Amino acid sequence: MANPTDALLRYRPWRGNLRGPLNGSWAMARVALRLMFRRKLFWALYGLAALIFFFFFYGQYLVVWIQLQTANQTVSLAGLQVRAGDLTRFLDRLALNGSAHTFGNFIWFEGYIGMIVLALAGAVLVGNDFHHGSLPFYLAKPIGRWHYVLGKCLGAAAFVNLLTTIPALVLFVQAGLLYDWKSYYLEHGREFLGILGYGAILTVTLSLLLVATAVWVRRTVPLVMVWAGVFVLCRMLASFLVDGQRLDERWRLIDLWNDLYLVGLWCLGAEWDSVRPVDQPQPWEAAVVIGLVCAACLLYLRRRIQAVEIVQ
Amino acid sequence: MGQPPLIDLHGITRTFGAFTALHGVTLQLPPGRTGLLGPNGAGKSTLLKILMGLIEPTSGSGRVLDQPLGGDRDSAANWRLRRLIGFMPEAEALVPGLTGIEYVGLAGELYGMSRRQSQRRAHEVLGYLGLEEARYRNVEEYSAGMKQRVKLAQALIHDPPVLLLDEPTSGLDPAGRDALLNLVRELGTDHGKSVILSTHLLADVQAVCEQVVILAGGVVRGQGTVEELCARRADRFKLRVQGEVAKFRDDLLGEGVTVLADNGHGELRVAVPAGWSNLAFFKLAGCNDVVIRALVRDDETLEELFLRTVNA
Amino acid sequence: MSTSVRTNESVSATPPPIAKAPGWAVSGSPLTAHRSPLLLFEHVSKWYGPVLALNQVTLELTGGITGLVGANGAGKSTLIRLATGQTRPTVGRVTVGGIDAWDWRARLLVGYCPDHDAFYEDMSGREFVHTMARLCGYDRREARRRTEAVLDRVGMSDRADRKLRGYSKGMRQRVKLAQALLHDPDLLVLDEPLSGIDPVGRQEQLELFRSLAAQGKCLLISSHELEELEKLTNHVAVMARGRIAAVGTLQQIRDLMDDFPLSVRVDVDRPRDLARRLLDVPDVIGCDVGGEEGSVVVRATHPRRFYEAFGRLVVEEMIEVRRLEPLDDTAHAILGYLLGGSGKT
Repeated sequence: MANPTDALLRYRPWRGNLRGPLNGSWAMARVALRLMFRRKLFWALYGLAALIFFFFFYGQYLVVWIQLQTANQTVSLAGLQVRAGDLTRFLDRLALNGSAHTFGNFIWFEGYIGMIVLALAGAVLVGNDFHHGSLPFYLAKPIGRWHYVLGKCLGAAAFVNLLTTIPALVLFVQAGLLYDWKSYYLEHGREFLGILGYGAILTVTLSLLLVATAVWVRRTVPLVMVWAGVFVLCRMLASFLVDGQRLDERWRLIDLWNDLYLVGLWCLGAEWDSVRPVDQPQPWEAAVVIGLVCAACLLYLRRRIQAVEIVQ
Repeated sequence: MGQPPLIDLHGITRTFGAFTALHGVTLQLPPGRTGLLGPNGAGKSTLLKILMGLIEPTSGSGRVLDQPLGGDRDSAANWRLRRLIGFMPEAEALVPGLTGIEYVGLAGELYGMSRRQSQRRAHEVLGYLGLEEARYRNVEEYSAGMKQRVKLAQALIHDPPVLLLDEPTSGLDPAGRDALLNLVRELGTDHGKSVILSTHLLADVQAVCEQVVILAGGVVRGQGTVEELCARRADRFKLRVQGEVAKFRDDLLGEGVTVLADNGHGELRVAVPAGWSNLAFFKLAGCNDVVIRALVRDDETLEELFLRTVNA
Repeated sequence: MSTSVRTNESVSATPPPIAKAPGWAVSGSPLTAHRSPLLLFEHVSKWYGPVLALNQVTLELTGGITGLVGANGAGKSTLIRLATGQTRPTVGRVTVGGIDAWDWRARLLVGYCPDHDAFYEDMSGREFVHTMARLCGYDRREARRRTEAVLDRVGMSDRADRKLRGYSKGMRQRVKLAQALLHDPDLLVLDEPLSGIDPVGRQEQLELFRSLAAQGKCLLISSHELEELEKLTNHVAVMARGRIAAVGTLQQIRDLMDDFPLSVRVDVDRPRDLARRLLDVPDVIGCDVGGEEGSVVVRATHPRRFYEAFGRLVVEEMIEVRRLEPLDDTAHAILGYLLGGSGKT
């Protein structure tokens, strides 16, 4: 191991300014992002997310083009003459027209993919620290325990934002360019704020939920099971109870994903009647549920962080 | 000398409910290499946590290099304390998925270094520790010796004046152990760092440390250099002989020598009467066709000192 | 690495020195009457895919305590796995008391104390050992009797009711040893039994091993803690790169290492005079007086002859020797030389 050059390349001292603990939180967030994008397994999901984005992107363009240019012309399809407008009717449901629902739906889809990735990556990001013994590494540094939690949350938050808010903003800009941009941006300012709002709520809730669950269960499979329980089973249960059994619409509140969607739509300023399916609870009720979930996560984290030992 | 003492503790007590881990520990250590020894449950880990500002003493006060102890673990004062100390934990403490250079770089940023500085310094430190070729590989792929060195690297990155090492040679084979201990000793002698080595391996302490502190039952039972503490026994010798040991032993007894121990493969510990000359050993050996392979004065070893101190 | 150490063939043919000293009485077990070695490796090689873990290993153990030392990755864990019957050799045979190690009957003769803990952390120590006893095939009463006997043997009777989760390293070691002793095996294989234990606990463990050996059991201890191993036994097997580099007592191994002359430190009143006289001794190849005050470091080949000559010289010249200390014949130094180091820390 030792050779003559080693003796010459000796240890050099270092003097410099040391910044505060937020520097550390930011570094942790960057490392978390790097770890998530490094896993080749997730690239399939990232591909799917990109696919959805491009679908929306070109879909918006296509819809505008058809409406303005070729709605009444016919297109030859397998020998029959079909009106272009009829062909693209399915796109109307998706509301690819730069309205609140466009962005709401987009964020909904992308968010769902982000949620899946976080479930799979959560153990890598946070759980490993507990069962691998990496906590002494973090907590022996001049950072507070909440800076540690902040660092992890920032990482998850940055990821969710990359997947939802930023592409949605791109779509917003595109929509304006396709329609009359001067009037579009001014009239649809509410949508702009709504994108930021929906994104923010998703970000905060998902990151807190991720960090709390990962601290609780630590390994991938139980984490995926818990998240599947919250985001898939509860959805199915809510739909069964309200649509199937015709119970009060407030039962839909147990579906966290739907609650996030409702609050997001409220931020975006969508008309209440256009929300599908019908019988939804009020946005403020959904907001209360989300608030409770976040508070529960924070309290749990507080309790767990107190009890951390780093020297045996 | 004008240098502040490394550790200056007065009456540090720490209780956990009904259990007292440390009873009024008063300790002054000069800068240098110190070994911290003690059986399990002696309060060593509690003392280390207090030194790093991770828990508050219940009563008493202290300073580490002029930085006072005490206060909430998340306070800025304790961050200042941790910036002075580089801690190498006993636990695994790695972040899987990161390469060596990224891991050490993250450590640097957690200490508060800027990203550039941290990267540059990480390359330097890894080069010094002999991990130059392996720095772009993932840390979980490293061998045991490399893992310990990368943990040392993350403790050194911000060039702290004090290094706190918790069982640094655990899991290492003899060659790896020697290499690591050489590095630690060099950091102490050539680069003026103070080292506190907490370990169960007394041989490590003997190889690296100038001083030892023996902690047992929450109290400091002994402190000083090994020479000061170990009793000199001028009338006791350790002999290693080869040949017909039984007759040799009988002749020794005849000369007034007491055989204190005989391990069955020719190693004897003897106590000689006053006025004894070692020449007699060789004469008796010559008569009995026995070859003396070693003759050393049987001073108290560090291990005997430890057992004596702890069992007092 | 060209040391002229005679390997497997000649050195391992020497059986370990047993029973010369009091306290090492051989038990009256029927096995020793069979005269087959307790553990025998015959030209064993083991591959894991393309990786060669063991290369033509021949080893024979009949009793006493044998240390297994070597660098990480030298093949020690593979050797242990083969001895405990967890895997089969690709080439060659491993037998325990004459029975092939893979055969379940061989497991009756072997007690294994692994280096990781694989406990059910929710159980108490007593429950765990009792469960292991039941797994051995004993009925409930017999299992309980054996559990108590074995817990008493390792000194855990009073502390065994706490949950395993809260145990210190030393206590865990004892529980592992207890479960290995349940069926009273003749061969005990211990992997890193002393790691992580404080010096007080280590003394107790060493005492326990000595008493087990005194009972007539054969112990194979793999450890990195060479100083502790040296206190326990003189007989070691050194492994390097999948081969047994040397087997025998430390003294035998050191004496065989012709490439590395012995360094001996001698403290006398007039070191230079002694140095001059020593240079007349044929085995001495050099004397160093530049070191500590009043001492001379002698380098010599053929250690035994040198010591004899030295003894005669001392008696003839009436020299008062304050210290005679070989500097590089500890297990640590020998391992260092064998693995290509300098033997010095």
